[in-house]
Amino acid sequence: MTLAVASSVRFEAPDHEGVGRIVIDRPDDEINAINLDLVEALGGAIRSARAYPDMRGLVVASAKPGQFVAGADLKMVDQAPTAADVEHASRRFQAVCDELAWLPCTTVAAIGGPALGGGLELALACDFRVAADAPSVSLGQPEVNLGILPAGGGTQRLPRLVGLERALDLILSGRRLNARRARRAGLVDEVVHPQVLAQAAHAWAKKPKRPLQRPLHLAPNLAAATDLAEHTPLGRQLMYRQARASVLARTHGHYPAPLKALEAVEIGLEKGMAAGLEAESHAFGELAQTDTTRNLIWLFMATQHQKRLGKRDARAVKRMAVVGAGFMGAAIAEVGAVAGLPVRVRDVKPEAVAKGLARIRRMVDGAVARRRFTPYEGRDILQRVSGTTDYTGFATTDLVIEAVFEDLAVKHKVIAELEAVLPDQAVIASNTSALPIREIASQARHKDRVVGMHFFSPAERMPLLEVVKPAAASDEAVATAVSLGVKMGKTVIVVADTPGFYTSRVLGVMMNEAALLLDEGAQVQDVDRALTDFGFPVGPFVLFDEVGLVVAQHVGETVSAAFGDRLPVSTVVPELVEAGQTGKAQGAGFYIWPKASRLPRPLPQPKRKVNPKVARRAMTRRAFSAEEIQDRLVLLFVNEAMRCLEEGVLQSPTDGDLGAVLGLGFPPFRGGPFHYADALGAGGLRDRLRRLADEHGPRYTPADRLRPGEPFFPR
Amino acid sequence: MARAKSSHPRAAVVGGFRTPFMRAGTDFAQLDVLDLARAVTVELLQRFALEPNEVDHVIYGNVTRPVHYSNLARELVLAAGLPRATPAYTVTLACASACQAITDATNLIERGYADVVIAGGVEMLSNVPISLSPPLARALVGASQAKSVGGKLGSLRGLSLADLPPVAPSITETSTGLSMGQSAELMAKKNGIKREDQDGWALASHRKAAAAWDDGRLAEEVTPVYVANNGGRAVTRDNHVRRDTSLEKLSALKPVFDRNYGTVTAGNSSPLTDGAASVLLMSTDKAKALGLQPKALVKSYAYSAVDPADELLIGPAYAIPKALDRAGLAMSSIDIVEMHEAFAAQVLSTLQKLESQTFAQQELGRSEAVGRLDPDRINLRGGSIALGHPFGATGARCVTTLANEMARQSAQYGLVSVCAAGGVGAAIVLERP
Repeated sequence: MTLAVASSVRFEAPDHEGVGRIVIDRPDDEINAINLDLVEALGGAIRSARAYPDMRGLVVASAKPGQFVAGADLKMVDQAPTAADVEHASRRFQAVCDELAWLPCTTVAAIGGPALGGGLELALACDFRVAADAPSVSLGQPEVNLGILPAGGGTQRLPRLVGLERALDLILSGRRLNARRARRAGLVDEVVHPQVLAQAAHAWAKKPKRPLQRPLHLAPNLAAATDLAEHTPLGRQLMYRQARASVLARTHGHYPAPLKALEAVEIGLEKGMAAGLEAESHAFGELAQTDTTRNLIWLFMATQHQKRLGKRDARAVKRMAVVGAGFMGAAIAEVGAVAGLPVRVRDVKPEAVAKGLARIRRMVDGAVARRRFTPYEGRDILQRVSGTTDYTGFATTDLVIEAVFEDLAVKHKVIAELEAVLPDQAVIASNTSALPIREIASQARHKDRVVGMHFFSPAERMPLLEVVKPAAASDEAVATAVSLGVKMGKTVIVVADTPGFYTSRVLGVMMNEAALLLDEGAQVQDVDRALTDFGFPVGPFVLFDEVGLVVAQHVGETVSAAFGDRLPVSTVVPELVEAGQTGKAQGAGFYIWPKASRLPRPLPQPKRKVNPKVARRAMTRRAFSAEEIQDRLVLLFVNEAMRCLEEGVLQSPTDGDLGAVLGLGFPPFRGGPFHYADALGAGGLRDRLRRLADEHGPRYTPADRLRPGEPFFPR
Repeated sequence: MARAKSSHPRAAVVGGFRTPFMRAGTDFAQLDVLDLARAVTVELLQRFALEPNEVDHVIYGNVTRPVHYSNLARELVLAAGLPRATPAYTVTLACASACQAITDATNLIERGYADVVIAGGVEMLSNVPISLSPPLARALVGASQAKSVGGKLGSLRGLSLADLPPVAPSITETSTGLSMGQSAELMAKKNGIKREDQDGWALASHRKAAAAWDDGRLAEEVTPVYVANNGGRAVTRDNHVRRDTSLEKLSALKPVFDRNYGTVTAGNSSPLTDGAASVLLMSTDKAKALGLQPKALVKSYAYSAVDPADELLIGPAYAIPKALDRAGLAMSSIDIVEMHEAFAAQVLSTLQKLESQTFAQQELGRSEAVGRLDPDRINLRGGSIALGHPFGATGARCVTTLANEMARQSAQYGLVSVCAAGGVGAAIVLERP
């Protein structure tokens, strides 16, 4: 036995009832993340167990309360030098899981916390799984979200345990299940109170081993029919094909991991488990070395890291208020209430307040219907929100977010009214997408407490929050806004108070360029398709129509007023606004939106029809290649992001990448504009930008920060 | 003596609010009883900028209580964002439930057991608990307890078709079988209360309520309720106040309880109503410490009860003199009165008794009449006939309005009286601090 065995995995000899235990307790990691040392230690413990041939049962558990094994240590994947190293790690883990599965005694996983990725695979190698009924318990194979796949037998054991359809759903979506849903899915055999988890696991360990073959259920219902279909090669082929089609529809071919996972499942079921395991670990080694995986893992870790921001100088926010019960205000209030805060929502007219509260209720009811909250949690959240037409209750508020109409005079009025009622230390945050905070705060008595909190629509779902720090704002006010954002579950970046901040500026510049392309004869659909091919969720013109052209025009004006010397402005947006065709909500913008597609949840849409008014504008139509469009738009976006960094708008390339991916839909597999710049290489990118600058003007002049040999993320 | 006096805390009415009062089955029909109680209590906390953890106790009145809220006041604590460690209980004293909540709060404060108490009441008559007939309920409980199928079926035997329809709670006296309205009709006849006087009282109630809405006096004590169902609706005003009513219109209505010789009509009675009201009571010291200005202090209170078979709603005629005696005040010292108007006939009967020397001598054992109350000093913002009468909430509505009027007029003494089912009467005397 090595020292590692002693410290991170412990074997306890069978008790008087013949039940032994393997106890996992990585001393240097609070979630027992799997690394090679832990794998070997597990192997050692299983070998120790073999020394007791009479042992009746074996329980696998974590020594840490509220934990199991939360997944692989991502450093193992991220920092492995070659594909072969990664593949080796996967094979070792597979081997250890196999040894566990082939033990002659009954094996039980006692799941007291997250069992994700490798953690779930370890549990799957046991005969039975017992889970604690606790909020911290979640089970799933989230690997595909990081560009990899389950490589400890997950693609093999999961379909054999819960059936092909359910396994594909879990593996391809990365979805996590809580204990009760895992029980319903057949992933877990019993759900018990955390206090009796050990007792229940012990009881299961005394039962006979699980039969190797999953019994076939015959019943006159859909589930049984699906089950039966899964037992025929033809039925399975149909399922593979459907799954592949839906993955491709979702990923546009940018994410290879789900396809590889699907392949491994298929090989395992059709050619046997050994071949499946082989395919799994080979794919794992291959995928781990791709930029896609590196970028996705980096994003995941950066997001996790960002959650620890803002705690230091922050004042505690015990109660918050929102001024403006419109679309944005209601969503912000909902997010606050979900975060556990009492929220006071103010609007001028009682009807507006009622509408806002009804919106909040719809959001919460929807989340309950999607099982994000239990009905009791939903009720609790709604009860934290109250509405008002005056400023009553604001005297006990620690932070107010104003989400009123984007008009300086209106904002000034609100700030003045707020200052009259708020306690002196309360923070006033403005939710504006482009107006400079210092101008919003220009008449404030206490300028030090006015900051920006730029939420993204729909705020209840978008994961990013841009906190804007004007020069006059105190560190405390900024830290308070940041830590509230973190509490709301947002990834927060802090940016300087310059026109358009970071996100609106880079997006505005890119969208303006898209409009300029139209003037040059490009076609609306070609531009949109080029960007969705690049990996953006929607193209710029669909985005224009969804955001609404009035808002887009407003952002455009703010940005061009500041950078107008290098930014020619297209006239197409003002023309459409003039004509009253201001986007999706009005039925027409760059596209014609038939009524049915304006519903909140549009059906898969047939080909969109371009607004003839826009189509007619292009006098000299010219064919643009996708690459040309992507260069014009994406490289400009990247260049503007780099300017933001060198001007100090951004604090770091990390913030820039997080902001672009989480707020603007920059393709996650590309890691964000700064990772993308690194991937292109400074020299090559600079040359391309210079050529574009020669042809189209100084907006493409490469940012000074772009220097060969100085990547944004040194490896 | 001086020392003893200063060491006894006094209970102060810091203020109160109510929801709009809406006829049952109208704007609040989709809400739950707790929604209304929560809406007004959250507003009370917000408008007084009161830290929720300052609240020591919550006492809430409610009459037709849903089965799943066995202690509605405690549900209110949990729903209104009050600290979960706040004790709370629900009181039931029919239409005087909120009076009981408020006088209980007074006791807690005067004893020094609590500094801050929220007392109030709520009624949701749109959504009353419907129960099963006793034979059916017994059979079902029996069936659920029986072990065998035979036993289960056995418990259901003997049920008749008549046992099957569900039973709505009624406002009928169990001792007499008479409804409230029938009892009011009886009082009108017995005391010779004329139809035109009843209609006149009702008309005045509507006129005063309309005027109080117009000049903002009611807006100051009514908080909007936001109904978040569907698209969302804001309910900001009472919907029973009829500013266009007249003696002609009122006198055209048919009597409800005695079609031939009766005088009590829908027009001179209070309607079935949904609504809630909450009052913030504090010790005077606590109010001072929190920088809040009390509107009134509780001077005294009294409860009485009479034989329900006699004059069911005459209770206040007994409770008022008792409360006045306890306050050491004569009726003439009272500046303003809030008298719950279940029926105009009941109000007029009560006033008649208070003025009657015979009543004083025979019933109260005192030589002189209790005293005359000038109708112009009663129900200055309208009464239950115009505003509506959510059973559990009315007492808190009366105390709130009285305290507000006393503060507005700098009146020295005020009186609240409420009659209630079972022959109960309640009276509370307030004084300016």
